[in-house]
Amino acid sequence: MNTEVFSIDFWKAFAPETILIVGLILIFIIPNLGNSKFRIPLTKIQVPWFLGGRRFKATGSPAIPGMLATATLFTAVGMMIIETINGNMDTTTVTSGGIVILQVDNFSRFFEILFLVAVLLASMASLDRIPANTFEGKKSLEEMYDNRRQADFYILMLTTAIGMCVVALAQDMFVLFVGLELASLATYVLVGFHKESKSGAESGVKYFIVGSVASGIGLYGLSLLYLEFGSLQLSTLAANWGDASALGPIALGLVLVGFGFKISAAPFHFAAPDAYSGANSPVAGVLATASKAMGMIGLIRVLLVVALPEADSDGSAIWLYTLATLSVITMTWGNIAALGSTNPKRMLAYSSVAHAGYMMAALTAVGAWKWGNVEAPGDYAEAIVAAVLFHLFVLVAFKLGAFLVLGLLEMEGGASRLSALSGLARRDPLIGTAMFIFMLALAGVPPLAGFMSKFLVIAGIVSTSVGDLWMNGTVSFSELHWVWWLALAMFINSAISVFYYLRIGVIMFLDVPEEGRRKPLPYGASIRMAIWICLVATIILGLSGDTLIDMCYRAAESLNLA
Amino acid sequence: MSESGIIDYAVLIPLLPMLAFPVILFLGKLFNGTPTWVKNVKEGGIIALTVMGASLILALLVIKEHMHHVGTANIFTWFESSWWNSETGAITTKVFGVGIHIDHLTVMLLFVAAFLCFLINVFSIGYMNTDPINDNRNHRFYAEFVLFCSGMLGMVLADSFLWLFIFWELMGLCSYLLIGFYYERPSASYAAKKAFLTTRVGDVFLVIGLVMLWNLFDGHLDYAYVFNQENIAAVNSGELQIALGMMFIGAVGKSAQFPLHVWLPDAMEGPTPVSALIHAATMVNAGLYLVARMFPFFSGAELGALSTLAIVIACIGGITAVMAALIAFVQMDLKKVLAYSTMSQLAYIFTGLGSALWFANNGYEELAAFAMGASLFHLFNHAMAKGMLFMASGSVIHEMHHAHHEVAHHDDDHHDDHDDHFDAQSMENMGGLASRMPITATAMFVGSMSIIGIPLIGGFWSKEGIIASAWQVALKEPIFLLPALLVLIGAGMTGFYMSRMWFMTFAGKPKTEVAEHVHEQTAWIPIPLVTLTFMTLGAIILAGMHAGHWLGDFDDGHYTNFFDGVGSEMEHVFLNHDPFLMVLTYVAIGLSLVLGPSFAMALYGGSLDKGQKAKPWMQWAINLSAKINKKSKFDNSEWANSSLAESLHKRLHFDDIYDAAVMKIVVGFANLSAIFDSKFIDGAIKAIESTSQNASRRVRALTTGSARDYIMMTALGTLVIFILLWGVA
Repeated sequence: MNTEVFSIDFWKAFAPETILIVGLILIFIIPNLGNSKFRIPLTKIQVPWFLGGRRFKATGSPAIPGMLATATLFTAVGMMIIETINGNMDTTTVTSGGIVILQVDNFSRFFEILFLVAVLLASMASLDRIPANTFEGKKSLEEMYDNRRQADFYILMLTTAIGMCVVALAQDMFVLFVGLELASLATYVLVGFHKESKSGAESGVKYFIVGSVASGIGLYGLSLLYLEFGSLQLSTLAANWGDASALGPIALGLVLVGFGFKISAAPFHFAAPDAYSGANSPVAGVLATASKAMGMIGLIRVLLVVALPEADSDGSAIWLYTLATLSVITMTWGNIAALGSTNPKRMLAYSSVAHAGYMMAALTAVGAWKWGNVEAPGDYAEAIVAAVLFHLFVLVAFKLGAFLVLGLLEMEGGASRLSALSGLARRDPLIGTAMFIFMLALAGVPPLAGFMSKFLVIAGIVSTSVGDLWMNGTVSFSELHWVWWLALAMFINSAISVFYYLRIGVIMFLDVPEEGRRKPLPYGASIRMAIWICLVATIILGLSGDTLIDMCYRAAESLNLA
Repeated sequence: MSESGIIDYAVLIPLLPMLAFPVILFLGKLFNGTPTWVKNVKEGGIIALTVMGASLILALLVIKEHMHHVGTANIFTWFESSWWNSETGAITTKVFGVGIHIDHLTVMLLFVAAFLCFLINVFSIGYMNTDPINDNRNHRFYAEFVLFCSGMLGMVLADSFLWLFIFWELMGLCSYLLIGFYYERPSASYAAKKAFLTTRVGDVFLVIGLVMLWNLFDGHLDYAYVFNQENIAAVNSGELQIALGMMFIGAVGKSAQFPLHVWLPDAMEGPTPVSALIHAATMVNAGLYLVARMFPFFSGAELGALSTLAIVIACIGGITAVMAALIAFVQMDLKKVLAYSTMSQLAYIFTGLGSALWFANNGYEELAAFAMGASLFHLFNHAMAKGMLFMASGSVIHEMHHAHHEVAHHDDDHHDDHDDHFDAQSMENMGGLASRMPITATAMFVGSMSIIGIPLIGGFWSKEGIIASAWQVALKEPIFLLPALLVLIGAGMTGFYMSRMWFMTFAGKPKTEVAEHVHEQTAWIPIPLVTLTFMTLGAIILAGMHAGHWLGDFDDGHYTNFFDGVGSEMEHVFLNHDPFLMVLTYVAIGLSLVLGPSFAMALYGGSLDKGQKAKPWMQWAINLSAKINKKSKFDNSEWANSSLAESLHKRLHFDDIYDAAVMKIVVGFANLSAIFDSKFIDGAIKAIESTSQNASRRVRALTTGSARDYIMMTALGTLVIFILLWGVA
């Protein structure tokens, strides 16, 4: 279905996004409702204006923005899930002046659900992590800070969500870039949100500077693409990619840097560990999951939609070696750096670098899709893309879950040393067990979701490397496509990673809690609920992820790779 | 393949107890000591009873549905995976998931396990919750109890050897936990370790066997594939024999057969309900179940190719039957006698299964079905009788304890030390209890008769079948004479030691003051005893319904009219058309009914105290024993002091030999491997660790914290990308 901006169909298709924006505006307005009046000039008539003045007590409560943001996100994500889960989604395209701007389809809806779920869980957790202190009486300076900036925090959270949704929907590289920057700018501020703490402010600024450089390089790449093709429409770029001059690869390389920063691929990942450790844990969780997925959208769009070789050419994409090299460097770098990290948040950051490497390896395998005269290369490609999408989604369950557990620890003090976790299983067996299960899932232990996603990715790579050779009967290793080695690299890296994931378990179960952490954990109803949701999802999606895998396949199909 | 119906819910049978495990454990942690938890929930006992009851009801429904046809159900598919065989080019699809398989074997064991677990649970509430030593830790008992039951029920219902093995190991774990329930006692923790390690020896072989089987059957362990007659015919029967032999060693360990039997007597260190659970309802039956499951291999493989294994199985059975019975002759501990009796009776079943497997592998289908049916029927009878015997012995011990406390307190109010070396389990302290504990004595009486094989009661029907089958094989295969002869002798020995146990405990005059003060007074305990007494007596009904035939041959077996059935069964046993079998039957009856018990009566019989009167169905036996005891001049003191008796007291030195072997060989080897481990393996790992930590430090050092460096690295990365892209383009 094709529709113009702001037509009836447009509102129908974009109802969830509209809700987000309405929610955002409400967070602006509601805390500011007051008894102010507006005097019509030159008269004495005063009309009640309600914005400003002395704030109403009910609407001025510092708890309002958090509730409002959570409710908004919940509604939007609920609508999307109901719309998508049955599978009969209409594709709606929004054009303006002949240019396709946005498209609602299975792919974009899948990612929007992913983003909103991640932000929803993070904002649920933040209700406790950055509590609104509504009680009467004397408040500490920190509590007053927290109360004053409730609205700011949730406005930024919603802005991030909206920016990410735009990235998912964009059909034009420029729109995509705008969405990306909207989300990125909001996250830069979120990272440095605790500006009174040195590490928070420093990491926010650092993340902003390095991120701006990467964005600048990416934008330069986009401008070169525009120079080459005269348009940034995905469909136009894809159609003309075969005829590109030398500018094409140059632009591609530059764009790769921009998105590489977002998914924290080595060597563009340096700011990530700093940012994660400086940000509060729920925000770091969003960075490690949703923000990374946003970068992956960019990579999928550029590499698989635009620069995938034509079905009748020799089959290998021009970026094949580049991405393969980067993926191996990224996963190895991430895992080795994580081995010795003594800060759990940095460790998780490095682990998410490694996960980015795994996903890049998977995308590389798609780049080799036509190598063996396979009859239906699209099926292989779809399977791998679906595996990547599945991986991105389940990361929200267990990586964000792990960050939320750290968030719970932050509520009683810092969580920047591994020793903060010591004895957690004894202090709070349920939370300790949950954290351990998240670690197992990250390590890829069956039957958890992390195993399933790694299994799907490796199986996808291997089956691409085998192609249709199996039909001939015997196949020797020398005949396989070399992307097979990426699966092996992934396998070895997974083995390395088990070390640092399980170390968390050892610390939690065997070590004695450190001084000052002997009391039970703080309660925090909504952060705990968010952790349970993550835990249940980690287990359920591993045991029976059929519904989600089907969603991933539908999303991959709507890319029309074949 | 799959069908719908009650079988879809069969998965709940093991699942409910499994889910109850954490629930009981956590609730126990939360509510320990609160009045409601102790009084109304019985520290978790009622929760366990509820789930076991639910499992039992579901099991009965499933049994009713699948009495006559095999059922399979795919409960849950996790994922499917296909791969291609590079040699043959064939694609194999494997389903990873859980399924249910129900046939006659399952039905029988499901009933035994679910029914006995439920009754033992009832018994436990009476036994465990009234003993102050268990206060505030009964929840641990019930949690482990339900997990154990879950293991057994799951193992029986599983549809592949893999799941069988998983539940098998779950039972192994729970047996360790339960035998070591009183872990503060060194003997209990030693026994738990011993049981765990001994069965582990068998399990290692079981794993090897399963891996071999997996290899032989092209990566399949599910019954649907491996029991397919075409697939069996396609594999190399020599390798199959080795694989099955390895699996049999696993069964030997689990069912405590020679030479891996040493753990079972020590397992008596656990609370008595655990003994009943391990010896009657679950663990030891697992090994039998595994061997019985192998039946299709034997009927499907080449004629005669697997006979050796069948003979080995029967021989192990025969040897164990006599050896255990011999050791049981001299035991004074009530529960230890029962433990050796278990070993011996299981050995009978192994002999019977060996015969069945031999027949199956040599083309005698009817005889195989008969032997199989007899073995399984014996399993059933033994489980019922032995469950009852253990619970009855528990009842005796429990009341002895109570009486001891009463007596001790009566004598001396300050005497509050319970640990005064009074052995409530020793038969030397009992005697004359028949009139004081009528229900328990009756249960023991009927149970013992069933185990001995007194005509018309319980085990008689099946034991005769096993002996007859073994001899029928012996007629065709001379080596089989060994097990056949051994089980025949064993029948007489059973008669002796079971009678000895009963008369020592219940007949004669009380040997201690404590025994005079025993009463039956604990609630809950009589319920399972009475139930099982009738179950055991009712075996004649099952025999009349041709349970033996039906258990052996699922498809053709059928029920007959009860009276016709009893008639034909009687005729079959007592007036067999084959004179050889008829003579054999009377020899066996003579040995077990006349010879064994007579000796026991002569040595240990005696009348009760004056004024004490047992129930009429036991009084005649006591009177008879008193008469024989008076008249006989049989003196066994010479025998009792012989070196054989000495070594029997030492359990034929098996434990000593094993201990010595473990101390010398295993510990020596362990020392060597410890050196290897710390020097080489640890060295290598330390090296890897320090190298990787160094690498990690270097890599992390690149994260300098300065944004300028990061931008530098970004620029560098951009360059790398260009080089790589240009290299291609």
